[in-house]
Amino acid sequence: MNALRRFLNNGDINRFRLWFQLGAFGLLIYGGFLAMDIGNSLPTFSCVFVDSRAGACYLYPLQHQVNMPWSQFSGGRGIGLAVGLVTFFLFFVLFNKAWCGYACPLGTVQDWITKLRARLGIRYSLYANETFGRLKAIKYVLLALLILLPLGISNSLFGLPKLPRDLATSYCMICPGRTVLPLFTGDASQLAIDFSSRTMMALTGLGMAITGGFFAGAFVKKRFFCLFCPMSALQYAFSKAGLLRLTKQGAKCTRCGNCSRVCDVGIREIADDVTSRNIVQDDCMMCFKCVAACPESHCLAVTFLGMPVYEATAEGFMRRTKRRDNHG
Amino acid sequence: MRYFAGIDMGSTAIKIALVDQQGSLSGHTVVPTGSFFQKNTLEALQLLLRERGIERSDVAYLLSTGYGRKLLPEADETISEITANAAGARAIAGSAAIRTIINIGGQDSKVLLLDADGHIRNFVMNDKCAAGTGRFLEMTARNLGTDVGELGNLHCRSSGAPLSITSTCTVFAESEIISLLARGHGKEELVAGVHYSIARRIVRLARQIGIEDRVFFDGGPALNSGMVAALEDELMLQVVVPAAPQLTTAIGAATLARTAWIDTGEQVNA
Amino acid sequence: MDKERRERLIRTTGVHLAMEATETLRQVVEEFPDNPRAMDYFYDLFRAEYCGGGAKKNGAMRIGMLCVQAPEELIRAAGAVPVRLCSGSHAFDQAGAEFMPAKACSLVKATLGMLSLRTAGGAERLDLVVNPTTCEQKKKAGELLEDFGYRVHHLEMPPAKDSEEARIYWQRSVKKFAAVLEETTGVRITKQRLAKAIRTTGMARSAYRRLHELAKWPRPLIRGKDVMLVTNAYFFDDLDRWTAAVTELADEIEQRRETNLPGAGKHAPRILFTGSPPIFPNLKLPLLIEQAGGVIVVDEVCSSSRLLHDQVAYDEQALYDMVPAVADRVLKPCTCPVFLSSQDRVRRLLDLAASFAVDGVVYQSFAGCMPYALEQRSVGQALVNANIPMLSVETDYGPDDQGQLSTRVEAFIESLRGKARKRA
Ligand code: SF4
Ligand code: SF4
Repeated sequence: MNALRRFLNNGDINRFRLWFQLGAFGLLIYGGFLAMDIGNSLPTFSCVFVDSRAGACYLYPLQHQVNMPWSQFSGGRGIGLAVGLVTFFLFFVLFNKAWCGYACPLGTVQDWITKLRARLGIRYSLYANETFGRLKAIKYVLLALLILLPLGISNSLFGLPKLPRDLATSYCMICPGRTVLPLFTGDASQLAIDFSSRTMMALTGLGMAITGGFFAGAFVKKRFFCLFCPMSALQYAFSKAGLLRLTKQGAKCTRCGNCSRVCDVGIREIADDVTSRNIVQDDCMMCFKCVAACPESHCLAVTFLGMPVYEATAEGFMRRTKRRDNHG
Repeated sequence: MRYFAGIDMGSTAIKIALVDQQGSLSGHTVVPTGSFFQKNTLEALQLLLRERGIERSDVAYLLSTGYGRKLLPEADETISEITANAAGARAIAGSAAIRTIINIGGQDSKVLLLDADGHIRNFVMNDKCAAGTGRFLEMTARNLGTDVGELGNLHCRSSGAPLSITSTCTVFAESEIISLLARGHGKEELVAGVHYSIARRIVRLARQIGIEDRVFFDGGPALNSGMVAALEDELMLQVVVPAAPQLTTAIGAATLARTAWIDTGEQVNA
Repeated sequence: MDKERRERLIRTTGVHLAMEATETLRQVVEEFPDNPRAMDYFYDLFRAEYCGGGAKKNGAMRIGMLCVQAPEELIRAAGAVPVRLCSGSHAFDQAGAEFMPAKACSLVKATLGMLSLRTAGGAERLDLVVNPTTCEQKKKAGELLEDFGYRVHHLEMPPAKDSEEARIYWQRSVKKFAAVLEETTGVRITKQRLAKAIRTTGMARSAYRRLHELAKWPRPLIRGKDVMLVTNAYFFDDLDRWTAAVTELADEIEQRRETNLPGAGKHAPRILFTGSPPIFPNLKLPLLIEQAGGVIVVDEVCSSSRLLHDQVAYDEQALYDMVPAVADRVLKPCTCPVFLSSQDRVRRLLDLAASFAVDGVVYQSFAGCMPYALEQRSVGQALVNANIPMLSVETDYGPDDQGQLSTRVEAFIESLRGKARKRA
């Protein structure tokens, strides 16, 4: 047991993640070719506009499911909504926000862009942190709209007239998942502005602009889009219940900042907070790069059901430093 | 019968105490230190033993403490005077729960804070300075042309306000005293002033670690009633002064010698 | 100073330095029965450096550092050898007193004294001196060094380290320093060179950490006086040789653990040493502690654990990420009291006390050092709350207070014995 634990702790989770992400990407984007289907309530961007997907991003059914008159919430369609939510929750609770760090195809694409930038020797933007820090709240606004707009199609909200049908999956229309991910199956049809109605024109136009921003952003700041992702906002609401956790033993922390220095989403609390045990933050995608970068034994750890799975150790840290240097 | 000796080798005097197997005091002596530490100590011990009719071989354990504790090869063990002082106060005061010990010695002064069990919780010593120690009293007596033993009486006879001695260094204080005398101030008020200046200094030291009731005051200068009065005024507390305050540390060492002997005995048996 | 007087001063100081060093080494080596064999490397190293006129220096450029805050990785990546200049010699202290205020701290006086004479302790040939602007005394010392004719780079440090602003300010400072280094040595700091420097210093640090971990063993296996000699050697020894010697020492200590060889007794009170750094030959206080029967199992001083504990992590193998990473290593985890807050230091001390099962803490502050004296209160309070006794000692490099100190230290160790016995 101890030997196994030591072996794991000495391992390089970044390398593991690289391969895992590749696998997850292949599965979620191409799994459909093998007739795989893991459901319609996945807590990750397995985009419905990819025909060969192996399951669907929950945000799409969610928008459809809330699009019903108040009266039906207690009926059969209400149950459908509840089942969807519970399925989503069960999927989510298992791996917590690691869905973002390990499975999300859109996240993976951003990581590839980052790799490309680093290869080219171009530095990341230093000021991105301060500038974008304030924009984080946007994802909660998006999440609220994502639920309110479909609701407003079937109901009159706040005394306003009912909204046009074209807003049914409004979030999907602006999500870069819809435009970017089908590209990987050779489908560029989503990269266009839909002129069928004024609403659609506005939405898809915005979508195109956001897609541009997605690429440009990912190039200057790691995981740029994740800051605004409504899925991340939805997940964070349930994150405390996750079985997979990122934990910290504050007493062991020297606040050296190694963890937050390697954190792709620039979380400062991971280093500075020395009191919280469960240290998963709003933007955290549970990539566990921080654990690999922490040189203090048992300070940061990944736990599943309270059992440590991967822990920071002084020995593991040194192994990784040496190995990395040899690989260049 | 077995006996245990504690020897406190101070800078001005050598103090020896003997306790028996039950731990009660069975003899003590005080001799000036002089320049031949070791010789003087051994002679004093021999004299004490002869007086009490005790054989040297009956002294089962000898513990040395004090400034010169390392200079006595005959000792079975050495212990710092701080630990010995606390043990001595515990042995003498018995159930009267002592929490603070103020000790003024010939060369230094110290304050010890004890917990409810009589163990040392914290302590401070004065730093590299003779002001606030017995040396200061000796210097005063010498300049007044009297004996240290007289200082208490002089203090009690003083009627005016004690003179304030501002110099913090013995050398400067000495000239300050001489000039105060030359200006016609009374000896009594001057002595009282010296006592207050020492007392204030040691109370300031004690405040660094806190003062808790009851306070035990020992060391040679505790024989001086003026010193005691000044200290009580500065502390705003009553202090406990043992019958032979200069002996506390030696008694403590003797008590610890007894415990050490019992402990080793137990280890042998076990 | 006229020439003749200077020559005299150099000669006398040299004699006194050798005397001090010999005496300290005698105590370190001869007064303890159980020195590890692998310590001989370090004993010999110090003998050669201090009593035998100094080891031969190789041809590389030598960059002196007045404080651990100068990132050594950059110096090495620029092809130079870092030399920590902080001196622990009373003889140099007195030489420094010739031109420094009497109330200045011994460490600064001794360092400046040494540098003013340019004779030993690494001051013979320095191509550049880095002066991180830490405490007032060191700051001003840097200026004095310029008067002595040294080339000095003032490495500007922020007065606090928690804010993002401080971090960025410091990263810029370090970047500038890197440029000065390149200009001095004529070697470009490339990502390959820097990666190698990070790796080799990292390996040295991890060798030290191994030794450090071994001290957690319930029965002390190595004494603090030896560990401090080992860490002091890092000031001037060749990096690879040092790492190899420490690894060998750790192997031997591990052996001791396995074969139950005697180290110090099981009842010896375990001490955590903190405060002003004990630097050879001034091991006065650590030696007193261990002569009185205590064992320093762990320390939190910048000449020892703080010098060697922290590790660099970078995300992208590129200078734009690695240089700031090196800068972060020096600033973020540092527990020096010159920084605004004492929180990190207090937390570190509490963790060390708990994980090394410490019975008591000894806090040294050099007379004249305000930052350490001022922090003594908050540190002491935190330790009291955690039920850990602390002895605080104000001292300097002079031998005068030896008698007084030994009484205080012994009394402290005696008062801890009961606790140690209960633990064991
Ligand atoms: S890397 Fe580890 S020790 Fe450093 S700040 Fe992060 S959690 Fe703390
Ligand atoms: S905090 Fe750690 S796990 Fe979370 S995103 Fe940052 S590096 Fe990854």
